[in-house]
Amino acid sequence: MIRRLFERLIFGFYVLALLATFAGVGAYFVLSRDLPQLPDDLEKINLSLPTEIYSADGERIKVLGQRYPVSLDDISPNFIKAIVAAEDAGFYKHKGLDHLSLMRALYMNIRERKILQGGSTITQQLSKNLFFSFKRNWIRKIKELLVSLQLEVTFSKDQILEAYCNQIYFGSGAYGVEEAAQVYFRKRARELTVLQGALLAGLPNSPNNANPFTDYPRSMRRTEYILTRMVKENLISPDEKNKALASPLELTRPREDNNPNRYFVNYVIEKLERDYGKEFVHFGGLKVFTTLDARLQGFAHKSAVSHLEALESEMKELDTKNPLQVGMVSIENQSGAVRAMLGGRNYSHSQFNRAVSNNRLPGSSFKPFVYLTAMEQHGYNPASIIKDEPITIDIPGTDLWEPKNFNDEHVGDVILKKAMMQSLNVVSVKLIQEVTPEKVIKTARHFGVTSPLGNNLSLALGTSGVSSLEMASAYSMIANLGVYNEPYFIQRIEDFKGNTLYENFYHGIQRYAPKSIYPLLNMMQGVVDGGTGRVVRRMGFKHPAAGKTGTTNSSKDAWFNGFTKDFSTSVWVGFDNNDPMVHRSGRGLTGGRAAAPIWVFYMQQALQGKNPIKFPIPEGIKFEKVDVQSGTLVDDQSAESMNVALKEETIIPPRAIEPADTLMDQVPAEDSTTSELNNVPNH
Amino acid sequence: MKFPGIQGQRQGGMILFFALLALISLEFYGKIFERGVGNYLKWQNATRPQLGRVWERDRQGVLAQSKIQTIRSILDSREESAEAIDSLKTLFEKIEPSFPLVLSREKFLELYYDFPGQWSAGIISPFELISIDSQNNWTRVLLKRSGRWITVGFIDSQNIPVHEIFMSTDALVEVQATRAVKRGRLEEAGFENDRVYPATVFLPVLQTLDPKTQQAVFPDPRWFLAKDYSITRLGIREPVVPLGSIPSLEFGIEYDTDYYTGVLLIPVPLEIANNMLSQIERTGLDISGEEFHALTAPSGDIP
Repeated sequence: MIRRLFERLIFGFYVLALLATFAGVGAYFVLSRDLPQLPDDLEKINLSLPTEIYSADGERIKVLGQRYPVSLDDISPNFIKAIVAAEDAGFYKHKGLDHLSLMRALYMNIRERKILQGGSTITQQLSKNLFFSFKRNWIRKIKELLVSLQLEVTFSKDQILEAYCNQIYFGSGAYGVEEAAQVYFRKRARELTVLQGALLAGLPNSPNNANPFTDYPRSMRRTEYILTRMVKENLISPDEKNKALASPLELTRPREDNNPNRYFVNYVIEKLERDYGKEFVHFGGLKVFTTLDARLQGFAHKSAVSHLEALESEMKELDTKNPLQVGMVSIENQSGAVRAMLGGRNYSHSQFNRAVSNNRLPGSSFKPFVYLTAMEQHGYNPASIIKDEPITIDIPGTDLWEPKNFNDEHVGDVILKKAMMQSLNVVSVKLIQEVTPEKVIKTARHFGVTSPLGNNLSLALGTSGVSSLEMASAYSMIANLGVYNEPYFIQRIEDFKGNTLYENFYHGIQRYAPKSIYPLLNMMQGVVDGGTGRVVRRMGFKHPAAGKTGTTNSSKDAWFNGFTKDFSTSVWVGFDNNDPMVHRSGRGLTGGRAAAPIWVFYMQQALQGKNPIKFPIPEGIKFEKVDVQSGTLVDDQSAESMNVALKEETIIPPRAIEPADTLMDQVPAEDSTTSELNNVPNH
Repeated sequence: MKFPGIQGQRQGGMILFFALLALISLEFYGKIFERGVGNYLKWQNATRPQLGRVWERDRQGVLAQSKIQTIRSILDSREESAEAIDSLKTLFEKIEPSFPLVLSREKFLELYYDFPGQWSAGIISPFELISIDSQNNWTRVLLKRSGRWITVGFIDSQNIPVHEIFMSTDALVEVQATRAVKRGRLEEAGFENDRVYPATVFLPVLQTLDPKTQQAVFPDPRWFLAKDYSITRLGIREPVVPLGSIPSLEFGIEYDTDYYTGVLLIPVPLEIANNMLSQIERTGLDISGEEFHALTAPSGDIP
């Protein structure tokens, strides 16, 4: 009986050994085809060159792919002991495979019928980090194991541990122990205390859940557990553990990524990736010199944040989860260089770049394109008369459209300059009706507006979405008297040796004659000096400036786009969810109230110390003082007059002499003869 | 009673048992399995594919560097070809639409002053150049061609134009018809023997002309002197490219350098050419006894 049992036992062993050998050899041959080659040197894995992005004023504003590898000598022994205790107590004893841990994990996984525990050694984790995806499955685990066995016989324990410490993720965007020490304690890895080392050692296993910035109590519980493990492994004494727990942690504040440059930087990175490919940007070791002026960007951020806070404090109701947002772009007119770009209020809260997205309606700030089309192609001039009156437009297939002015009032006959200054909607609609939306779209395209524009009459009121970038660029062309400079963000790109790979050259194209643009510019100066944008002057902005406000229905969007000789800046303010912006008085916020002050705060700082520069008056321009209601030369009957800039060939007639009997009867002259003689467009 | 089969089986079993025991001990104390597999994989390492995150990063790095290399090569070759341009005429002829040419300030000045005639001063006067240069920020020259226009931008280190001039591409027709340099002797350039005169005859006649006419028919003497070019002969022929609507002839001034012989071709209005020829004839007859023939303008639609 005993002999038979013994025989069966031996036979069983024999079969098992044979099966294990066959299974092992078979598995190897199946998996070996997919096993990766190991590099000669583990230090190589940290060698990719970082790409650096600089502002125009020389500040390094972003580094891509930067790692901070340190040698084992530069890592505090407190951390090394802690990480060994936490992740792989038998690290210095095994050769890549810890039998006991593996058996324990195997038992747990088989019992639960899913992979719960890895039982991974530090070497296996390194193997996973270097070569494999983070998906958990049996095949990948075996591959990981095989690679770790090779790692163990190829490299020393210290080399493996050093590579591991420089590779692992510690949460909060920190890769490697050096960066983690900086992020959590603002110190070098070699300076970590026992408590700090234990806290960091607890992170690789659960970088998000046990993160001290997000869940401090849980993080401390894990730290205590690590310290207990250290005591158990005789790496520290119980006394040292207690002292560590009593010591200050010196945790820093979370690194809030609210750097206002980030919107600009991300836009540049996306652009580079589109133009050259991701690998070029992330692995090229480039130096990218951008047009961003960090000083101006700071002003833009400060101006926007402080004004939005003030606005919010005056608003009726405010959903704290949906704060007021801003999109802002400032362009240097001379070159087209984008000097500041704010894609939102706080990058850490919202990474969506509102300055380049074209989903917000420009409202009246689109009107200059309508006016210019009428002046260039239909013989209008700033002194031309249009009647501001209630109108109804029959649009086939829809209800009758009755465009209304902002204040729902009509002023009757009015010159174009005044209509622009008061942003009269009816006048714009009448103009686009005459010139056709196609022609207005063509004009907008000449100004660099690339967003889709609706081929309909409401385009005159800015009902097609555009971006702040487009508006700043388009207005910059007005400031440049017809020269279009394509806005650009990158001045130069160098490789790591300093060789130039790309440089931007000025690319100004004269799209309109200066004398065609100047009358429009002068009208827009009127907006700032005495029109809907007069808040600019009321706030004490002294530099010669021009611009246009824009407010959409129910105050969902507020714009102010304006320029001086040096800069064109576009500001949009609104809610992401398109809620109306309502003051607690019940009135909707306008472009002049919500956006223009940001423009003023910013421009005042950007132009501080600079002498006011007047817009140059091109050849072929004359100025006339005209009657606002009749568009004729000013005379003693004029109730209101205005200076307008006109092309030299434009003739402004004097007021028609009315028949004596009519004058005696004091009847206003509104007959057909008068209107023919007055300044009406020459179609 | 003994059963040899069973005894043999028992012995085999014992051997296997001890072998397994030895293996387990070796694994327990010496990690023989891990070492064996590890060393085998290490031995096979070179034959395996370069897969995984590390190699992917490596590959991306290589790809990026090769892209950078390609860009560098294109830029280097553009820079070399720009630097290799040897005359202002070639410079303007080489501008292609959508491919701007960038030249250093020094190279531009070299070509500008090397042009054997007044055409370069017509583009921009030397005084304007001095005025641009006085701002101390002109570093390079950018030449662009767009439609019928050529833009010459004098740019600063930030590539912002300090000064810009615009010229019509018609100016190129003018430069094509204007002074050009060719290698070789007059005969190789198409001048006939009976229309070739020695410098000793031609130069004294040139000196008798008023300064304006001198400029029209001859470059600044500095052009020859600075380069150590020695004028040897003068040839006259009908021009290959007519000088606009003005009836003209073409002078070929042959010169020797240390290494080669060259000819400077200058279109000259017919009236001036005939006037000079008559003087050359008078002087030349004394020397060579050649007969003077007044030349006529080439036939064509010249009014």
